[in-house]
Amino acid sequence: MSAAVMQAGYAEDRAAIEDLMARYLFAMDWGDYDAYLDMFTEDGELEFARGTARGRQAISESVRAFKQAIGQFYKDADGNPAILRHIISQTVIRIEGDRAFTVAFWWEMANDGPGGKPKAGTFGTYEDELVKQDGRWLFSKRRILNEFLEGRSTGEVNPVRLLDERAKKARA
Amino acid sequence: MSDPAQLARDRAEIKDLMGRYLFAMDWHDTEAYAACFTEDGVLDYAMATLTGREEIRLGAEKFRDAVGDLFKREDGSPALLRHVLDHIVIRVEGDEAWTTAFWWELTDGGPGRTPEIQSFGTYEDQLARVNGQWLFRRRKIYNEFIPGRETPSANPVRHYDDAAARAAGERN
Repeated sequence: MSAAVMQAGYAEDRAAIEDLMARYLFAMDWGDYDAYLDMFTEDGELEFARGTARGRQAISESVRAFKQAIGQFYKDADGNPAILRHIISQTVIRIEGDRAFTVAFWWEMANDGPGGKPKAGTFGTYEDELVKQDGRWLFSKRRILNEFLEGRSTGEVNPVRLLDERAKKARA
Repeated sequence: MSDPAQLARDRAEIKDLMGRYLFAMDWHDTEAYAACFTEDGVLDYAMATLTGREEIRLGAEKFRDAVGDLFKREDGSPALLRHVLDHIVIRVEGDEAWTTAFWWELTDGGPGRTPEIQSFGTYEDQLARVNGQWLFRRRKIYNEFIPGRETPSANPVRHYDDAAARAAGERN
């Protein structure tokens, strides 16, 4: 396995997808649900610790419940809901026509350390499938894995290997 | 003056390679790891300087076996190790490229199995485009926490800009 030879337009598609992934994190951390839902296809799927939500309505309910729960979980030194920030770093993006497959490393920190300092919370990976609709890349499936939650870890196999296999199937 | 569209494309492809490298390393996919290098590629890191894909693959196996002893959780079990790549400077001259990037690493070995930052450093790379694919020709890994392996005190971007300028000068 090695990096595939990329199709023409890879840079433009990659730039658009990186932008989408950044928008996603801002929407999540600032609780902007309209922006958040707008990043999924109508029948998009979000799979995370709370289960799998299909379609924008179900995703909306699931994400609102998650934000409420997380506010109870992360508290600052004064007991107020902590300011939580998700961060995305290395991202592998494979594009096959109007479909894309990504694996990315994420981690999170909040202002819940001693004396209100930043403290790392957890880390994991995103495994995504995207489609280009009317010139816009959207998530058709986002899978959020977290190495700190029982049954939600990324697993033993290099996720990029699995991504390349999915992309190969899409090409066939 | 290089073509901006070509630079965007090269940068996108090189970022993808750097992502694949880290997933291969952290998931101990030693074959995929070695495939990120040219056939005669060189990996210069704290444990050794390795030449060629087979030596690099064997080095990755040694790293896999050593890492469980290096990083442990409170209960003594091997910790999960994740390398993280953030700002990346990339300079391209034809079919050669030079990069400088900031890396850091964290484990799940903190108190109560929380994330804990372990070290940070820089990558200093030379890349070559072989059959349309960017690969590492030479990767040097600096680590600010290993005596003798620290990034030199001068801005590393200056160093690689000089190398790229020399290569461009030799071509003209």
